[in-house]
Amino acid sequence: MTNALYIGIGPIIAVTLGVVVLLMVEVTLHPATRVWRLISFGSLISGFILAIVQWADAANNPQPIFSHMLMHDGFSAFGSIVLIIVAALGLLVAWPLVENDRARGAELVALVLLTTIGLMLLVSAANLMMVFLGLEVASISLYVIAGFIRKGARSNEAAVKYFLLGSFASAVFLYGVALVYAGTGTLEITAIAGPQFAGLTQTPVLLVGIGLIVVGLGFKVSAAPFHMWAPDVYQGSASGVTGFMNAGAKIAGFAALARILVVSFDAQRGDWGPALAVVAALSMVVGTVLAITQTDLKRMLAYSSVAHAGFIMTALVGGGAGIDALWFYVVTYAFQVVGAFGVVAAISGVASDESALKQYVGLGRRSPFLAGVLSLMMLAMAGIPLTAGFAGKFGVFRAALEAGYTWLVVLALVASAVGLYFYLRVIVRVYIDQETAEQPRVVITDGMRFALTTVAVLTVAFGVNPAPLLTVVSNALPF
Amino acid sequence: MVRRPILRNLELGAATAIFVYCHAADGPNQEHCFRVTEYFQDYITVFAYLAFGVILALLLLSVASLIRPSRPTPAKAMSYESGIDPVGGGWSQTHIRYYVFALLFLIFDVEAVFIFPWAIRLEQLGWFGLWEMLVFIAILLLGLVYAIRKGVLKWE
Amino acid sequence: MIVTPVWYMMLAAALFVIGAGGLLLRRNALIMFMSIELMLNAVNLTFVAAARQLGDINGQVSVFFVMVVAAAEVVVGLAIMVAVFRRRASASIDELAELRG
Repeated sequence: MTNALYIGIGPIIAVTLGVVVLLMVEVTLHPATRVWRLISFGSLISGFILAIVQWADAANNPQPIFSHMLMHDGFSAFGSIVLIIVAALGLLVAWPLVENDRARGAELVALVLLTTIGLMLLVSAANLMMVFLGLEVASISLYVIAGFIRKGARSNEAAVKYFLLGSFASAVFLYGVALVYAGTGTLEITAIAGPQFAGLTQTPVLLVGIGLIVVGLGFKVSAAPFHMWAPDVYQGSASGVTGFMNAGAKIAGFAALARILVVSFDAQRGDWGPALAVVAALSMVVGTVLAITQTDLKRMLAYSSVAHAGFIMTALVGGGAGIDALWFYVVTYAFQVVGAFGVVAAISGVASDESALKQYVGLGRRSPFLAGVLSLMMLAMAGIPLTAGFAGKFGVFRAALEAGYTWLVVLALVASAVGLYFYLRVIVRVYIDQETAEQPRVVITDGMRFALTTVAVLTVAFGVNPAPLLTVVSNALPF
Repeated sequence: MVRRPILRNLELGAATAIFVYCHAADGPNQEHCFRVTEYFQDYITVFAYLAFGVILALLLLSVASLIRPSRPTPAKAMSYESGIDPVGGGWSQTHIRYYVFALLFLIFDVEAVFIFPWAIRLEQLGWFGLWEMLVFIAILLLGLVYAIRKGVLKWE
Repeated sequence: MIVTPVWYMMLAAALFVIGAGGLLLRRNALIMFMSIELMLNAVNLTFVAAARQLGDINGQVSVFFVMVVAAAEVVVGLAIMVAVFRRRASASIDELAELRG
C-alpha cells in the first residue's frame, strides 16, 4: 500500500507546514496575534485529525514506511494524538506569554510546534538514527524555549544548564546507538531483534550500547541519577511553557524507550530489566525525598516529576507486558503536569521564574477554580482513588508485580505514601493556612480556563472509569 | 625557458619509480605492485597538477616582471585590504556582532554536506532526486528569508 | 602490524571518555562545549569504523546526520552562551548558581 506512506507522515507534515507558514506569514505580513493563533491551532487540529486517520488505518495494516525510517502503527498514531493534545493545551496556557512579546511571540509558538514535531518523530521512529534526529529536533527547540526570557538571569541559567546536560545526554545516547550498530550491523529497530542477529545477543559491545541508550533517554525523561538538570530548568523557564516541556519530554522519551527496549532488545531483558528497576527505585527515592524539602512549587513539581519518572519506569521492567500500563500512566500524568504548571502560570504569571509556596496561601478564597484544579492535580499525582493517578499507579505496580519485582513495588508504595505528605501540604496551604499579607487578585484568560477545565475533567474521568483509555492504549502496542 | 621543474619531491620520485618498475613487462611481484601503484597513481595525478600550477605561476610572473615597468611607491607597497587604508595590526579584535553571521554561515555550510553525496548519485536518482533536493534547498532558503526579514544581516 | 577498524573504535572510545571527562570536570562553558563536540566526533569515528568493518553504508550516512545535528547544536548553544555573556563577563559555569536547592 503506497497510501500508508502519506497517512503515516500526515500528522508530522501538518504541524511542519504550520511552523513554516506561521514563520513566513509573520516576517512578511506582520499580522495580528490572532492570526498566529489561527495558524498554529489550525495546524494542530489538522494534525490531530490526520493522526486519528492514521490510527484507523494503522489498525489494519501496520508497516514500516520511508524505507524503514518511520513506523506506521497504532503506537505512533496514539503517541502523535497525545502529543498534539498536550501541545495544544500547552499553547493555550502559554498564550499570554506569546501575546506579551509582539516581536518574538511567533517564534515561541513555532518552537513549541517544532518540539512537537521532534517528539512525534521520536515516537514514530523505526530507525535508531531517526530516534536521534527526533530527539535532537525536540531538544534543541526546548533549549531555546527554556531561555526564552532573555532578560531573566534564571532563564539564561536554565538554558545553559539544559543545553550542556542535554547535549551530553544526546551524545551518550548517540554513542549507544553507534555501539549497537557496531554490535548488530543495523540501525533498524525491528531488524535488530530479527533472526539474523540471534547469535550476538549478549556481546559486551551491544550491552554497553543498550546501557548508554537507557542513560541518554533517562536524562531526557529526568530519571535519577540523571535528573540534576530538571529542577533548575523547570524553575528557571517561564512558567507558561514548563508544563509542556515536562509533559512532552516524558511522553515521547518513555515511548521511544519502550519501543527500543521491547522491540529491539527483548532478548536482553534479563540484562536491562534489573538495571531499569534500580534506576526506577533511585528516581522514586530521590524525587520523593528532595521534593519534601522544597519551598518553591515549581521546584517541588520538578522533583515530583523525577519520582514519577521512576513510577513510569516501573512499568517497563517486565518488558512488553507493561506497555499499556506505561501509556496509561504517562498520558494521565502529562495532563496532570500541564494542569499543575498551568495553575502556577496563572498565579505567578506566565513569564515568572518565581513560584514560592507562600504565594498560594489562601488561594481557595481568591480563586476557587484554580484552587480546585491545583488540589485535584495534587491528589491525582499522589495517586488518590477516583483520580487518574490511582488507576495509573495500579497499572504500573501490577505490571512490575507480574514481572516478579516485588521489592520495587513495595518501595514504590512507600514512596507514594511519603509523597502524600508534600502533595497534601500544597492543599493545606491553599485551603487552610491564613493569609498573612494581601495577595494580588488572580486573573486568568479564557484559553487557560479552557485548558485547565479540560485536564481536570479528563483526570477525573479517567480516574472514575479508566476502561475506555485502557482499551485504547491496549491497541497502541509497538508489536 | 624553465629548466627542470621542481621535481625534487621524494615521494613523487619513489612513486614514479615504483610505477615504472611495476608496469614493466614482467614485474616480479604483480599483486603487491598493483596495490602500491594504484595508491600512488592518484598522488601522481595530484603532483602533476601541482607541478603544472607552480610552473604556470612562475612562468606568468617571470614574463610579467620582464615586460612591466617597475616604479615602487610607498602607497603601492601597502598591504591590500579591499581598497581601504589598513588600520591597526593584524591581531585586532573582531566586533561581537559578527557572531550572528558566523552562526548563519555555519548552519548553511554544513547543510551542504547533504548535497555532495546527492550530486554524485544524481543520474541514478533521476527527476525524483532532483525534486527532493529542490524541496530541501527551498526549505533552507525559507530559513534564510526568515533570517533576512528578521534583520539578522542588517548592520544597525 | 595491521590496523583494523577495531583500533579506530578503541580510539573513539578513548576520545569519548576524554570528552565526557572534560565536560564533567572543566568549569568553562566553552571548553565544556568543545568536549561535547569531541564526544560527537568520537561517535562519528565509531560509526565509520563499524561501517567499514561491516561493509555497510548506513554507518557512513549516519555521520552526515550527526554532523548536521552537531552544527545545529553549536549554533543554538553559542547563541545561548552569548546571551549569558552579555549579562555577565565570565564564561565560568560556577557563577551560574542562582538556581539551587
